[in-house]
Amino acid sequence: MTVPDDTGMQTLYPFLYSGGASADALLADAARSAAEKTAEIAELRALLAERHGEALLHCARRLAEAFQAGGRLLTFGNGGSSTDAQAVARLFACPPPPARPLPAISLPHDVATLTALSNDVGFEVVFARRLAALGRRGDIALGLSTSGGSRNLLRAFEEAAGRGMVTVGLAGYDGGAMAEAGTVQHLFVVPSSSVHRIQEAQTTVYQVLWELTRRALEGDL
Amino acid sequence: MRMAEKGPVAPAVRASFERRAGPGRALAEQADGVARACRDMAGRFRGGGKLIVFGSGGAAADAQHIAVEFVHPVIVGKRALPAVSLTDDAAALTGIAAAEGLEEVFAAQLRLLGGPHDIALGLSADGRCPEVRRALAAARDLGMLTVALAGAGGGDVAAEADHPLTTPCGDPCVVKEMHVTLYHLLWELVHVFLEHPATAEHGDGHGDGHGDGH
Repeated sequence: MTVPDDTGMQTLYPFLYSGGASADALLADAARSAAEKTAEIAELRALLAERHGEALLHCARRLAEAFQAGGRLLTFGNGGSSTDAQAVARLFACPPPPARPLPAISLPHDVATLTALSNDVGFEVVFARRLAALGRRGDIALGLSTSGGSRNLLRAFEEAAGRGMVTVGLAGYDGGAMAEAGTVQHLFVVPSSSVHRIQEAQTTVYQVLWELTRRALEGDL
Repeated sequence: MRMAEKGPVAPAVRASFERRAGPGRALAEQADGVARACRDMAGRFRGGGKLIVFGSGGAAADAQHIAVEFVHPVIVGKRALPAVSLTDDAAALTGIAAAEGLEEVFAAQLRLLGGPHDIALGLSADGRCPEVRRALAAARDLGMLTVALAGAGGGDVAAEADHPLTTPCGDPCVVKEMHVTLYHLLWELVHVFLEHPATAEHGDGHGDGHGDGH
């Protein structure tokens, strides 16, 4: 998704817009802004523990049950979130040792199927059709969006819920349509309006979810 | 649909988040290094250079994320900048790995695609990735500006970079989270430097040079 410029460039970089700054002053200004952003995400991450702690625990136990029953993880997202879909699938399927690998597939990374479905049917079905083909009752569908409003994700969750899959959603802002759809059983909303901070916090959410799922599978949760 | 509820945080969850708190706070210490890297990257972009990104495993996904960040910014009105990830093409990766060995997968592509005006950005959450180390060395030989996002897992990929940005943490998952913030900042601050007239004369971007980063 794209959003209006809310990075506060004019406020954060006053020299940039006054036109009279030296290169050194700009460098100092940029470093100060970078440090402020790191404080923002640290604060947001701490808030996630309070807001989502219990739900993460509950979700991790549910995922462990699904894997124990032979379920697989199917992940999806658009743009930057497609790379998170790939990263979370890889974390489950190819974890740092000695954790045991779990079956996981990232849906956005089959370019042939993605472009075929986009060209022949429409972009809205790219994940839903693949879930229909691959997904089984008891599998896990995990989708990431910053807005919570991506049509192809909403269609995918609808498909997954209809097939009896466990559905997990990561969103930002107020959760958008993903929070209203009734198809996302485990929804984790990052309360921020910065696409970048949302993505950073979502990385923590899915990695903590993996850590907890692993502990649950090892009987340690 | 189940919205998360507030409540007491279980010890296992708290422990997971607490492991992120220290590295999260320490990230501010990299702010100066990030700013210098962005100043030099902006110089390369201004001179017509492109960004080439690479990493193995989970970092392959980060490389793609960085490429899309620069080419298709999430902020309306920010110009598209040329960036390419070397991790997308399974035919190229498996072909090179079979013919020349896994360690060559990025270096071989860089030698074909990279030139002296370009920027090489390599990621390794544990810092021990021979493919990334070799690609950064190849990039230096080509005269490219080199930037490394590394972790403290015992490796030394950052030793090859003009701008080594090393997160001093041994947990690759936690390091990855710091890297996501770092590359978002790289994108944002590159645009700040590109838009500023005071840096217009810094066309080359060799600036602080090898070994000056943090």
